[in-house]
Amino acid sequence: MDKMKNDDLLREAGKMVSRCDRCGACLPVCPLFGVKGIEATSARGKNTIARALASGVLEPTEETLGVVNFCLLCRACVDTCPAQIPTDEAMVEVRQHLTDLAGGAEAKYRLVGGVLKRPGVVKAAAAALSILRRSGLNSLFPHGMAPEEYTRSHFLAAFAGPAALGQKAPPSAVTVTDKTKVAYFRGCGMEMMFPEAAAQTRDILRTTTRLLTKENVCCGLPHLAHGLRDEFLDLARQNIRLFDEADVVVSDCASCGATLKHLTSFFADDPAWRDQAAVFSGKVMDLTEYLAKVGYLPRQKTDAVFTYHDPCHLVRGQGITKPPRELLKAAGSFVEMKDADVCCGGAGSFHIDYPDAAEQILEKKRRNIEKTGATVVVTDCPGCLIQLAKAAKASGGKFKAMHISQVI
Amino acid sequence: MISEVIKQEIIAIVGPDNVLDSELNRFGYSYDSSFVPLLPKNNPDLVVRPLTTDEVSRVMVVACAHEIPVTPRGAGSGRTGGSIPQKGGISLCLDRMTQIVELDLRNMMVTAEAGVRTIDLYNHCAEKGLFFPPDPASWKFSTIGGNVAENAGGMRAVKYGVTKNYVMGLEVVLADGAILKTGGKAIKNVTGYDLTSLFTGSEGTLGVVTQALFRLIPMPKRRGTLQVMFRTLDDGCRTVHTVLQAGVLPAAAEIMDRTCLEVVARHRKTEIDPEVGASVIIEIDGEDDAALETQTKRIEAAAKECGAIAFRAARSQQEAEELWAVRRGISSAVAALAPNRIGEDISVPRDAFPEVVRRIGEISKKHGLPIAVYGHAGDGNIHPSILCDLAKPGEEERVHHAVDDIFAAALDVGGTLSGEHGIGITKRPYIAGALGEIGIRTLKAVKAALDPKGILNPGKIW
Repeated sequence: MDKMKNDDLLREAGKMVSRCDRCGACLPVCPLFGVKGIEATSARGKNTIARALASGVLEPTEETLGVVNFCLLCRACVDTCPAQIPTDEAMVEVRQHLTDLAGGAEAKYRLVGGVLKRPGVVKAAAAALSILRRSGLNSLFPHGMAPEEYTRSHFLAAFAGPAALGQKAPPSAVTVTDKTKVAYFRGCGMEMMFPEAAAQTRDILRTTTRLLTKENVCCGLPHLAHGLRDEFLDLARQNIRLFDEADVVVSDCASCGATLKHLTSFFADDPAWRDQAAVFSGKVMDLTEYLAKVGYLPRQKTDAVFTYHDPCHLVRGQGITKPPRELLKAAGSFVEMKDADVCCGGAGSFHIDYPDAAEQILEKKRRNIEKTGATVVVTDCPGCLIQLAKAAKASGGKFKAMHISQVI
Repeated sequence: MISEVIKQEIIAIVGPDNVLDSELNRFGYSYDSSFVPLLPKNNPDLVVRPLTTDEVSRVMVVACAHEIPVTPRGAGSGRTGGSIPQKGGISLCLDRMTQIVELDLRNMMVTAEAGVRTIDLYNHCAEKGLFFPPDPASWKFSTIGGNVAENAGGMRAVKYGVTKNYVMGLEVVLADGAILKTGGKAIKNVTGYDLTSLFTGSEGTLGVVTQALFRLIPMPKRRGTLQVMFRTLDDGCRTVHTVLQAGVLPAAAEIMDRTCLEVVARHRKTEIDPEVGASVIIEIDGEDDAALETQTKRIEAAAKECGAIAFRAARSQQEAEELWAVRRGISSAVAALAPNRIGEDISVPRDAFPEVVRRIGEISKKHGLPIAVYGHAGDGNIHPSILCDLAKPGEEERVHHAVDDIFAAALDVGGTLSGEHGIGITKRPYIAGALGEIGIRTLKAVKAALDPKGILNPGKIW
């Protein structure tokens, strides 16, 4: 990337954060500030650093990249900010700027980015993870990237006891016309880590429509988040083209869904792609959003007690909170947990890069889940599910962690 | 610069994790929520985060021995640069001291460490039916130590007063590291000078407040929120004045102008009636619903008399909370309207409030600068926000004159420079005008007596 374009990124970030008046409203809601307590880990700290970089007060150093990478992009700060400063977007811009300045993304991000770019490789990686799981080598894999999957059949075996009899939810009243072409967006995380849940999503979707499945590529969020913007844009174009014939694109991953819904803004300056990107983004729906729209009712009602963890990219990325809860209420009983919408510490590869901070954040989440007395914590995002599976393990069996597709 | 040897001494006191000295970590403690520019940098040489009063004391002993400047800091949410370490040295950050030491129900008093967040203290007391009234707009993130050091006010000052009205005693680490305890739980106490009041509002220049004892009052049983719309700010001001004159004392009466309302509307994606030029939000409280109803009726009558065009009472707790959340966020939302916002904090006698608001309108016209106005109409404390772009040629000069005029107007009607934000760095040039030569000399004499080496928060107030 040439220097001028690179400076634009920083200028853009500077513009975003220039409206921050450093009041500190973000301090109590920033999960990272919550565990570290140091200004530079907070949203205000990072915004001020971005502002200082943009105005030449600070020179970029290795420490700078470390600080801007230490962000969950969870948007809790944006939600609470009186001026709604988009800290997450600013951090992504600054990361890209610093990455370009350093002559490219760090090797590990390039590697992950490279793997996720090719669908064939995603499948191979998924197979490798599945072998790891079966061979019990999980513990060798760094920081729980290969979570123990708790499947729908496990769930039904555990909760479909006599108490569940006669409590079956009424049949689904879905009517989707033949004309509505509904497609499923295969997320890398779901495919690699939770293939059983992804299969459940497709089964559910098939009860409502004749499902289109595509060999889509990664949504590109990992690339965007770590200074591989050109790759991100390239993947986005491929997906836009690929889903041209679909009327609706359903995602069972909050992060993919949020990314795809936001593509419009990344092509706003590109006349060749602007309109197509806008049309595409308009077609994307989260699984629960789609199911609410078509009036889907769960396949069974059990005596399971659910609680729900709001993925950042669903609650703040897409403003969706009600549909998953309604579905869970119809599938069992539901207890709300404290701070359900606070980040679990997963945040893409954050939990691999910063395991200690991620664990401290997760510890708070685990305590909140346990306080509800729920037997299953449900979410709608593979990133969160990795974290929640770890929390479930740490709880010593008090609760299980499951994707919403597995329980409805 | 702080030598490696001294740094090691400090690390031995608070532990290596609680001493920060990297470039970005020092930068993180170089600013607060004031409009003091980031350049020239005000980085401390060292950020020190003690956990106990004893640690604070030992750090001060080291600082005193080596004459290192020490600037106490809480959440860095101050509006006048009070916690900016302008002379370098140590940023003494007390945000790890988060213990609520004791809630004494029999005496209705609470003791808290400096780093406790205001709202946490409020909630802790509220659980037992007790009320800690000081509620600066920043109460969700500001800390008690800073509230005491700045003598913070808030929305409810009109009925319940400000922080100093609740401070019964303090634990203060002096410049040489000695630990002073002032005041106590006895309600009447005239033993010696009133040092509690002296340290309250001293902006970290006389000592480091590590713990505070506050008195509490019974929590009001019922609360209600009213929102009244007016064509002009003047109508709003007159209404509040009329209400107070009629002997109704609301818990809070906040005014905001059209600019503020537009910011709010933009964030909530709603539209406001083009006729509306100002709004007043009022909190009332009392023993029962009947008490609220009586107040509501009298306020409504006064509002109508003064030309109110809309009057509504919040129907649910949630609606009331939303209205107040909007009010608390106004300052930062208004700040986002322009590249630079110069926010002031003048305070005038209650009956001069409508007059000073009118004069601010004239100052805005005279200098061709938009000035958003919001503030505590009930207690005479107003926050004019000059919206400007200091990068524009000549703008800084004009802003300077506008600020001069605002202060002149405040002093002219018998008011003062700051109601609740303190003087810090940003109002320092104006303090002589407000206090006079003898006033300043007396402040300096107090400072010299308590901090002869001048190491505590140097460069502030005068």
